[in-house]
Amino acid sequence: MNLFNIISELEKVDPEIMDRLTHRRSALTALGDMTKKMALAAAPIAIGSAFNKAMGQNNSNATVNDILNYALLLERLEYSFYNQALNAATLSTTLTGDARTAITTIRAHELAHVNLLTAALGSNVSPATAPTFDFGANAFTTYAGFLTLAQAFEDTGVRAYKGQATSIPRTLNPTVGGNQVNLLTVALQIHSVEARHAAHIRYMRRGATAGAQTSIMPWIVNKDANGVPDAVYGAGVPTTTFPAEDNVAQGGITALTTMLGATYSAADVSAAFDEGLDSTTVTNIARSVVKF
Amino acid sequence: MSPLSNLRMSEPLFSNSFLARTLRRRSFFRVVGATVATSTLVLAGCNDDNDPTPTSSTPSLTLGSGDNGLLNYAYLLEQLEAAFYQKVVDAFPSDFTAEDKAAFVDLRDHEVIHREFFRYALGTNAYDSAGTSLTFDFSSFTLTTRAGVYAAARTLEDTGVAAYNGAAKLITDVTSLRLLAKIASVEARHAAFVRDQAQPGSFAATDVITASGDAAGLDTAKTPLEVVELIAKFVPATIVASSLPTI
Repeated sequence: MNLFNIISELEKVDPEIMDRLTHRRSALTALGDMTKKMALAAAPIAIGSAFNKAMGQNNSNATVNDILNYALLLERLEYSFYNQALNAATLSTTLTGDARTAITTIRAHELAHVNLLTAALGSNVSPATAPTFDFGANAFTTYAGFLTLAQAFEDTGVRAYKGQATSIPRTLNPTVGGNQVNLLTVALQIHSVEARHAAHIRYMRRGATAGAQTSIMPWIVNKDANGVPDAVYGAGVPTTTFPAEDNVAQGGITALTTMLGATYSAADVSAAFDEGLDSTTVTNIARSVVKF
Repeated sequence: MSPLSNLRMSEPLFSNSFLARTLRRRSFFRVVGATVATSTLVLAGCNDDNDPTPTSSTPSLTLGSGDNGLLNYAYLLEQLEAAFYQKVVDAFPSDFTAEDKAAFVDLRDHEVIHREFFRYALGTNAYDSAGTSLTFDFSSFTLTTRAGVYAAARTLEDTGVAAYNGAAKLITDVTSLRLLAKIASVEARHAAFVRDQAQPGSFAATDVITASGDAAGLDTAKTPLEVVELIAKFVPATIVASSLPTI
């Protein structure tokens, strides 16, 4: 099944599809102008090519594939990260027992996501093979440090999928591995798995040898970074669409803390809603901790 | 007791009669921001074992159609979850630790905020905008033990995750879709947490995340009709979801 052909196929049966896509595309294009500049300014290496391709193209058919390739990049990164951790001699005595079991489960999920996205993309997988991910000399030297990075990747992954949810046409139902699937549903099914991973890893960090984050919760309170790079919980571009995780305004209501008929703490309101991130900000975060 | 308890049981739940509206509005203002549990439902008696004809007086809860129907569906789920956590917070099991209690206060607060957000966002489109809050029936759960409470929470949170995952593609408005996604991952965090507490390491076990095959690594997604069937036993009304979008 070639996803590039999906939209033209849909157009044959649903003439309105292009109108709907054009709508979304105009929003994306506006975003694209900014992200392109930011990407080129902020990340001199390969980001430019990845992003010009992902966000700059006017061909909406390609946009969906670019979203999938972007998701694939993140999944390949996560898989590689956990795979390197599980094979790291430096973690062999600390990443043990239930923790090793959990990380093995998470690695299996990331691999499954890589496989699924690869199958969905077919010949449009780009790049054809996974890049080499270099997490630096210190990524796996301590258990606590490893978990900190894991949290960064998982919480960023949740934000990344959420940020793309509105760019995936809800009527796209390609056949993947013999089954017809709805692409938006699949994206959300991955999204919630990443959120489960994030929740578990955050809680793992409570232990004495795991970072001793005594107050950390499975959910994101305000934009507390708990040792993770601040950008993971910061605002994206544009900030109105992708605010920082301490956001308390939702759905046009400027302050859920005071406008819902009672007073709620900013901590609770911010924790009750996760925020999305644009692909440029996500990639910049990734490149701040891993070379690829 | 709420003035609603004066209404006869045969009164339809969401009657538009002037009297009912007036009473319910008063009740509404009293319960906003507080707890669902404080509002007494007209038909609390319908679950009474002695009631010979429970079906004839069971009211209908109609979710409506289109995006509003889906938002009402999400609103109902959040009402259910908020009511559950409130009930636990009102009477913690004796073996709950201080950490359990703190987490449940957080969970309660998140779900109440979700509920109140949907209520506010829906305005007069809310299925219960006339003012009556449902009193949910959690008698199928064991809420007197830590294990029972976490098992119950696991059921509700996993259902919530599956519901949001399944509803997303049905929403046409992009802003609403974005909001559902913002809430969906929080529900998934909740689910992972309560699962781990119920059984360590089960945050993404194979009963919720497909282990192999083409759907490997994917969380559960359920249609509104599937979810409505799952939550029916908690809801003291017949949920009418037949007008919700299916595609």
